[in-house]
Amino acid sequence: MTANNTPPAVRLEGITKQFGDVVANDSVDFTLDAGSIHALIGENGSGKTTLMSILYGLYDQSEGTIHVNGEERSFDTPRDAMNAGVGMIHQHFQLVMPMTVLQNIILGHEPVENGLVDEARAREDIEAISTRYGFDVGEHLDTPVSELDLGTRQRVEIVKSLYRGAEILILDEPTAVLTPQEVEGLIELMEDLRADGRSLIFISHKLDEALAVADDITVLRDGNAVGTVSASETSEEELARMMVGRNVLFDSDARETTIGEPVLEAEGLRVIGDRGLEKVSEVSLSVREGEILGIAGVQGNGQTELVEALTGLRTLGSGVVRFDGDDISAMSRRDRIEAGIAYVPEDRHVEGLVMEYDLVGNGLLGNQTIEPFANGGFLDWEAVREHTEEIIEEFDVQPPNPDTEAESLSGGNQQKFIVGREIGHDPDVLVASHPTRGVDIGSIEFIHDRLTELRDEGLALVVVSSKLEEIQKLSDRIAVMYEGEFIDTVDPSDVTEEELGLLMAGQRLSGEDEVSGDGMTEGEMSEGGVSEGRMSGDESSSGVET
Amino acid sequence: MSATDESGARSLLDRVSDRLLDATVLERFGIALASILTAILLGLLMVAAAGYNPIIFLNNLIVGAVGSERVLARTLRISTFFIVTGVAVAVAFRAGVFNIGVQGQFVVGGLACAMSILWAAPYLPSGSLGGVGLMLIGTVAAAVSGGLYGAFPGVLKAYADANEIITTIMLNFIAIGVVSWLITNPFREAGSTNVQTEPLPANVGLPPIVFGESGFSVVGLVLTLALVAVVAVVMTRTRFGYDMMTSGYQASAAVYSGVDAKRNVVATMSFSGAVAGLASALFVIMYQGRFLEPASIHTYGYDAIAVSLLAANNPLAVVPAGLLFGGLNSSTSYIQIYSDVPVQLIDGIVGIVILFVAVPELFRMAANRATTGGEDE
Repeated sequence: MTANNTPPAVRLEGITKQFGDVVANDSVDFTLDAGSIHALIGENGSGKTTLMSILYGLYDQSEGTIHVNGEERSFDTPRDAMNAGVGMIHQHFQLVMPMTVLQNIILGHEPVENGLVDEARAREDIEAISTRYGFDVGEHLDTPVSELDLGTRQRVEIVKSLYRGAEILILDEPTAVLTPQEVEGLIELMEDLRADGRSLIFISHKLDEALAVADDITVLRDGNAVGTVSASETSEEELARMMVGRNVLFDSDARETTIGEPVLEAEGLRVIGDRGLEKVSEVSLSVREGEILGIAGVQGNGQTELVEALTGLRTLGSGVVRFDGDDISAMSRRDRIEAGIAYVPEDRHVEGLVMEYDLVGNGLLGNQTIEPFANGGFLDWEAVREHTEEIIEEFDVQPPNPDTEAESLSGGNQQKFIVGREIGHDPDVLVASHPTRGVDIGSIEFIHDRLTELRDEGLALVVVSSKLEEIQKLSDRIAVMYEGEFIDTVDPSDVTEEELGLLMAGQRLSGEDEVSGDGMTEGEMSEGGVSEGRMSGDESSSGVET
Repeated sequence: MSATDESGARSLLDRVSDRLLDATVLERFGIALASILTAILLGLLMVAAAGYNPIIFLNNLIVGAVGSERVLARTLRISTFFIVTGVAVAVAFRAGVFNIGVQGQFVVGGLACAMSILWAAPYLPSGSLGGVGLMLIGTVAAAVSGGLYGAFPGVLKAYADANEIITTIMLNFIAIGVVSWLITNPFREAGSTNVQTEPLPANVGLPPIVFGESGFSVVGLVLTLALVAVVAVVMTRTRFGYDMMTSGYQASAAVYSGVDAKRNVVATMSFSGAVAGLASALFVIMYQGRFLEPASIHTYGYDAIAVSLLAANNPLAVVPAGLLFGGLNSSTSYIQIYSDVPVQLIDGIVGIVILFVAVPELFRMAANRATTGGEDE
């Protein structure tokens, strides 16, 4: 791939990084050829981000050397790395929300003329970059970042790196926040950047994306580089095996289940969001015993508010929620937990776990009024510890130590623990919001299996996800949510991913009217339509129709 | 090269913070002791530089805290007040509620304690049994009124979104003003020129054991330690404590687990205020034997914030922190009386001692934050 005389853009040799007793990277070698895209894949906690943080000057390596363009380098800070042409797009964007796009891009690298910021020059430079790669960023230069959708924010981040002269770009799980259509756009962009002679490192745990975009793929497992393969000579199965260390089944067939009585029902729900805007409009649903209702949608279209209304975390604007036929619309969160409504929350770091508690402390979360953990007002920590050990054992939580603090677990293990704890309530209904977001492939499989098992045992489940594959695989019915409404409910075996993607973008399947009704064609939909939909989902600027 | 110097300095900092994070309780105690000694050494240098004899100063510092039965009794007495008010602050801070109003709750509780005892006295026998009954009445009155005075800003925060830091500070002024007026006018001792209530009946008071000195009783210290133990159990082994701590660590996770955030704020403030009320019951029954002009009372409720922070808001650690504050406070008055070292210099040295003890703990907390922030994924 490389011309013989060009040194590799990045060469990492024998990189080892220890945090206390934990070895995050164990003598990892990694070579990024100049002008290529190199995917770095691995489960959560396998050391991908740590390795790249070392390259980017966020961490010091314990051992090993870094070469950039053939020269040995050592970066103490990201600024050093940037000066050497290395840029990183973090998974969590590093943007200042109230500041405009222009201000964000030049922040810390302002062109100065006579001691003043030369905005005109900055504007010119950014527009040049923007036009070159066909970005829409140039049009938003004076818009505050908070008003942009996630896809555009990501492009702002990329322009920011390019503006700072990055020749080597590290993208940390860039597709995690995007719709399928946006992912395509990103892949095209990455190819353009490569054609322009830049070198890219693409961190991911999605195998298909790595295969689609990368020239080479390096797999990390438990901090070790398992191997580097050429994308053209490998397969998803091989990569999955390298990542997990064993064979992985991709499609578990949906088993036939007996569907029973409705357990959780909602009628005409209206829910007001944090900013006083109606986020859920006239939604009705019903989940029966032995059934998984999937709720698909781009984030910000009201799924969060709907789920919070069902689980008792948000009061209803109007409408009725019924559980086993009883009206529970006014029931508190506490009473709903005790009645048997379990909830795997959207954000495990914020709601699902207390990060500074150990697993025993977290094992009690939500259980603090339930026997045998609570005896009157007193807590029985021994009982909680036993229960925690059971969860750890049954859900294969690593490390299997109940005294570990929640925050030191990898995302997948945190999620397995939460799922285990919620199922431990012995619920009648499980509402799971993005149950596998940011979770490694081995744990995804595990969690999916547990969810389908529960369904087979007769539980009613609601699964909210923006991952189409997940929704299609798990659901018995899929409701697609767009701007606070279910725009369609479909049978997973009757729709393709593309059709679901279009529904998520607010477009009804052929023959039906579009929800937005502004006559957008399918082609426009894939670029602007999704952003448009998301923005109005966030801001409700366009008003939500009934 | 400067680059290597910089990374050398950084890795030293890393090592220090790693070490601090790994420190056991005993080691942390050792670090605190070493900090006190270092700070005192530094203070002695300042005393010498200012032209006073550091040896005499050091002698006064020690003698003023533990040098005689009388000063030791004073140190322990002041310490008990710091400990109980410190616990009041600690429980609220642990729950993420910033109760700056302990002083106000203390003042309200103190008046309620004194007045309820005075009002109830005629109805109870005058022997020691009656005394115990009166003390129980006074203690309950203090805890309830302190609790209610804490609940009020709690309600304002929960249901009207009023910042508790601001409301509790304002309520401190209101408490002092109103109680001061009450003691100056309706509740004033008949015929007295002093602003104070009638004295409590003779059968009210804690028995002097070990220390003959009035104003401190070992019983008071024992009760204080018992209260600390009870609060520690409430915080770690009850549902109420778990709800409070979880709210303090991560409010959204507490709500997720079924905690009613509004009710929890009110409950926390009531609990914290009730403990502040207990501090004032001790103050009235063990020490003053009546209630005085509240503006003249030492600002235990404010110092308690420093005591609690020094103890990292851990009720058990409030005990050594309260003893340190009590000792320094006692020494300060001693040195002021028995030497010509200016009070500003003494206060400065006391400040250095507190700073030195607090800084390693602050570093520990900062290192804890920094480490957790870095290990995303």
